[in-house]
Amino acid sequence: MEKMDRRDFLKRVGAGALVTGAGALGSGVMVPTGLWAQAPKIKGPIKVGYQAVLSGTLAGYGEFHKMGAQLAVEEINQKGGIAGVKVEIEFRDSTMKPDDAIKNARYFVDSWGADYLAGVDSSGQALALAPIMDKLDRVLMVTHAATEKLTEEWVFKKGIKQIFRMVNSTYHDSNAAAFIAKDLPALKWATVSPKYEYGFTCWKLFQETLKKLKPGVSFPAESWAPAGTTDFRSHINTIMDANPDGLYSTEWAGELITFLKQAKQAGLFDKVKHVMLPVGAAMDVLEGMGAEMPDNLWISGRYFFLYPNNKDNNDWVARFRKRWNHYPAYVSEAGYSAIYALKAAVEKSGSKETKALIQTLEGMELDTPAGRRLFRKEDHQAMYDVPWGKTKGDPKYPFKIMGESKVIPAKSYFSRPPFEGPGADPPFSS
Amino acid sequence: MLQSVVQVILAGLSTGMFIWLVASGLTLIFGVLGVLNFAHGSFYMLGAYFCFTVLKYMGANFWLGLILGPLCVCVIGFIVERFFLRYVYHIALPYQLLLTFAFVLIFDNLVKIVWGAGSISPPALAALGGSVDVLGRKFPIYNILIIVVGPLVALALWGMIEKTWWGRIIRASSSDREMASAIGVRVPALFTSVFVFGTWLGALGGGLAVPYVGIMTSGMGETIIIEAFIVAVIGGLGSLKGAFVGALVIGVLTAFGTRFFPTFDMFLTFILMAGILLWRPQGLFGVAR
Repeated sequence: MEKMDRRDFLKRVGAGALVTGAGALGSGVMVPTGLWAQAPKIKGPIKVGYQAVLSGTLAGYGEFHKMGAQLAVEEINQKGGIAGVKVEIEFRDSTMKPDDAIKNARYFVDSWGADYLAGVDSSGQALALAPIMDKLDRVLMVTHAATEKLTEEWVFKKGIKQIFRMVNSTYHDSNAAAFIAKDLPALKWATVSPKYEYGFTCWKLFQETLKKLKPGVSFPAESWAPAGTTDFRSHINTIMDANPDGLYSTEWAGELITFLKQAKQAGLFDKVKHVMLPVGAAMDVLEGMGAEMPDNLWISGRYFFLYPNNKDNNDWVARFRKRWNHYPAYVSEAGYSAIYALKAAVEKSGSKETKALIQTLEGMELDTPAGRRLFRKEDHQAMYDVPWGKTKGDPKYPFKIMGESKVIPAKSYFSRPPFEGPGADPPFSS
Repeated sequence: MLQSVVQVILAGLSTGMFIWLVASGLTLIFGVLGVLNFAHGSFYMLGAYFCFTVLKYMGANFWLGLILGPLCVCVIGFIVERFFLRYVYHIALPYQLLLTFAFVLIFDNLVKIVWGAGSISPPALAALGGSVDVLGRKFPIYNILIIVVGPLVALALWGMIEKTWWGRIIRASSSDREMASAIGVRVPALFTSVFVFGTWLGALGGGLAVPYVGIMTSGMGETIIIEAFIVAVIGGLGSLKGAFVGALVIGVLTAFGTRFFPTFDMFLTFILMAGILLWRPQGLFGVAR
């Protein structure tokens, strides 16, 4: 028999009495919070199925997703889990292929019994998963894929309520970039961008918004690099022949590193003074480029570890570095926050059922390392602010950081429901 | 405009020479051993990682890395041929493809375990990191070096195969394996040596690619192997001359496509390949079998 001393006994009785008492008083008088109140309602464990790219040239991204989500799970379980129930997480390789994204999601839900899905890197994968999410009926918290069609078309127009997105979408990469570009002394803009959905959409939105903000701008050249490009020299020649004042590029990860190195060798940055890289503030790019990163390029991302400069974020960065010996990548922050969003939603609704989670997440505010996020009710897109800034050296870091930076409030450039007609696209008249 | 055309030709030549370095080993191995080695892209990747490791951890310079790195990969190539590939020469082709593809997966994951999953971006070379002025636009010195190295490798290979004793034995064994062994050639050992040499060529390509591409990732071999295959097929599988010409054509054509016909650039290569295969199913310099 378990030994129990008098003090322990009294504690347990007290705890029980408190719960019973709270229940008797009814809701509104004394709402039970924390572990005691919800433990009986939820049958554990709470299972999270997370898919991210773990193979091929982008495998590093998957590892960073994993570090973030894993850290959140460890922290939560150490403190007793979610509503007293342990969290379990399983990672699967998304491989960047739409078919595999669907296979993974089906495995998680049908075979493994996941309560909540998260991850997904490419827009193509997100759009492949969207049509099956109501059948699978689990919340899918997208932590990387950026296409606005996911939230506009599938959540808002087609009503697939299971989909949420933790991170900035193409709005940030294109519209916010245009808000920065309008104040730069550059009228002719060109692009070298990925030859797929993400690259095309961003360039189109960037042009549309910038044209409205700054009449008189022109776009003399565009060059599209297929996935896997290792030689950007012809693309760079296309840009240099057009002689623009500004260059906008949604190249990302390793291909952005290759592009920047080759552009530097070709003298592109001597000729084109204003360069905007929506995904340039990613840690793999900054660390990969090291001291070779040119100064004064405008960069941004989904999150940058020095912003916001407050206690919550700085503490988190310190914990992350202690656990993994890395600076957190933006996908790490998103993975971490995705688990805490689950925690908040379960504790608030007292259930892990999909319907309850959706209801709670809609319109929910969540404090995360990247700052306070609001999950917009209409399209389930998280609104939060991420700065744009210029690269500069700092003796404290072995890589260039975001120096002089500008924050454009998310609500001023996130397209608005109903996503068409006047007033839907920034710049807003009202 | 002229400026741009010259730049595009130079860019195309350097791209072509990279593909040639990889395709040469692939072609040599196929021509002699009759094995389509999917894992050749992995040797390219391993070449890059070993060169980088020598460069970084042994404090050596790039050239020493370029000598030692591919030699390390040769050891791996030796193990692959001697203890695995040798046992599937006599059974159906799908088994060879399966085995070499398995090695692709194994090597990709080994690289992740040893060097980490993220990309590694070695710093620019101090000596050859600069550029020269070509008609008012900068072109990297390093790429000019590659444009010179490619034909040198081709010349050396030609000399080795046509003019040396080893080359004669290789040609004899590849045209008639049984007769060669009947007159006393140790065919298995010869095949191992050819495979290891082909591995060395792939690894050298990888080592040379790093300063140019700027990053290394696990899986980097998978992109280049497709281009090398296309080149080998266009040139005629097994023909080194064909691979060299094919690499030049593909390199320059891709560069021109990207610059002047951006809508069709991905399509051009495949149209060319389809056209050549319709016209000459054995490839430009291939021998009909």
